[in-house]
Amino acid sequence: MRSAATLVMVAAAVLAQATIVNRLPFAWGPGPDLVVAAVVAVALTTSPAAAAACGFGAGLAMDLLPPAEHAVGRYALVLCLAAYLVALLRRNTGAPGAVGSRTSGWAAVGATAATALGVGAGYAAVGLLMGDQHMTPAAVGTGVGVGAALTVLVAPLVTLPVLWVRETLADSEFATVQGPMAPGGW
Amino acid sequence: MLRDSPRSRLVLALLVAAAVVLLVLDARPGADPVTSVARAGGELVFAPAAAGVGWAAAPAVTLYDGLREGPRAAARVAELEEANAALEAELQAARIDRNRSDQLDDLLHLSGLGAYEVVPAQAVTRSTARGYAHTVTIDTGTESGVRPDMTVVNGSGLVGRVVEAGPRTATVMLATDVKSAVGARLESTRKIGVVNGGSVPGGPEADLTLELFDMEAPVEAGDRIVTLGSHEGAPFVPGVPIGTVDEVQVAPGALSRIARLTPAVDFASLDVVGVVVAGPDDDPRDSVLPPKPKKPEKSEKPEGEQ
Repeated sequence: MRSAATLVMVAAAVLAQATIVNRLPFAWGPGPDLVVAAVVAVALTTSPAAAAACGFGAGLAMDLLPPAEHAVGRYALVLCLAAYLVALLRRNTGAPGAVGSRTSGWAAVGATAATALGVGAGYAAVGLLMGDQHMTPAAVGTGVGVGAALTVLVAPLVTLPVLWVRETLADSEFATVQGPMAPGGW
Repeated sequence: MLRDSPRSRLVLALLVAAAVVLLVLDARPGADPVTSVARAGGELVFAPAAAGVGWAAAPAVTLYDGLREGPRAAARVAELEEANAALEAELQAARIDRNRSDQLDDLLHLSGLGAYEVVPAQAVTRSTARGYAHTVTIDTGTESGVRPDMTVVNGSGLVGRVVEAGPRTATVMLATDVKSAVGARLESTRKIGVVNGGSVPGGPEADLTLELFDMEAPVEAGDRIVTLGSHEGAPFVPGVPIGTVDEVQVAPGALSRIARLTPAVDFASLDVVGVVVAGPDDDPRDSVLPPKPKKPEKSEKPEGEQ
């Protein structure tokens, strides 16, 4: 149930990003990244491995969907690592092993902001490594900064609902379970 | 600090490796079968989704564009409206000008036929204080040589006569005014009579009524009437078409024959008129009349012979 809902939500985020956000004519270049926002919400509530898989899947989907202006795997690599790191940090610095401890909205938005910046920087870094001619310092600066700011703006509309759905479903699933329980799982 | 299970790390390592492999595969020059197939699959999903979004978002896109272009569009609309109004006015003016030019042509034609010397004018108003009198004001006056008791014509025929002339305007009593009486004669038979404005007692309701003095004169519907001409061409010069006999009234015991006329001039749309400031030296007879309408049995007759 939880994983199915997650799958639907992430797929919806990917499709919305590819078909709606990418369609909007932003004069300044980058738009909000719904995929990052959704993946952060998933990563905050799951194990690092699952988060990595989720980020990989979502990133690969974005790589494969038109426009094919970058190499396949670039976004998958960055999102995979980012989701893994978010999940790992959440697991190790948040309430470790605390089942049902809900993530506060502010923390989720903060995590989204940090991840958006990191994903933007990582994407640019992969581009630099691969010799992408678009990666001039000015373009990277505005791309990362503006993109992250817009992603933070849409975070309350994407990250928080996904987070809420996942935590609500987890609550109902684990409500009757007694005793310590390994956190995470799909 | 960052504790994680080996299995989890293995998963991450595998995923990263996969991503890097894909990157390398796709970044190599030339098309790679794996990534090409994968991209084709992505397109398969994307195309209908994008089409659906495009269909669903069309109103929103229009709205967005409208909002984005709003201020500029408003200015543009105002600009276009202004240009449109200007063009419309120009077009209307051109139409009026062409109309006037046609009427002037007709007037010139008529005055040429009758050897009348005319001063062109424009009917400014049909001003009458109470609406009883059929008079118009024209925009020429004594400065142009217009004097009272001059004949006023237009391209079609007799309009009336000048009753009052100011420096720049003149008042014309139309032939249809009840006070107007014009000496007239029948085309070809040369029988004379009087064309009165309105109806005469005992006559039919009409704009113009012809009274023929000769009870025996043959007159029938379709006969045309021209002015007889007054002494020294005032107030009426000879030969100007007045109208066509519409209906002849046979009144037993009457002293004259009465006929209803259809005016040659459309008094409802008077615009360009001419004041005849000098009449012809000779009576133009019937030469001012337009060619007779062709009779059906003579329809094979060529136009030029008329």
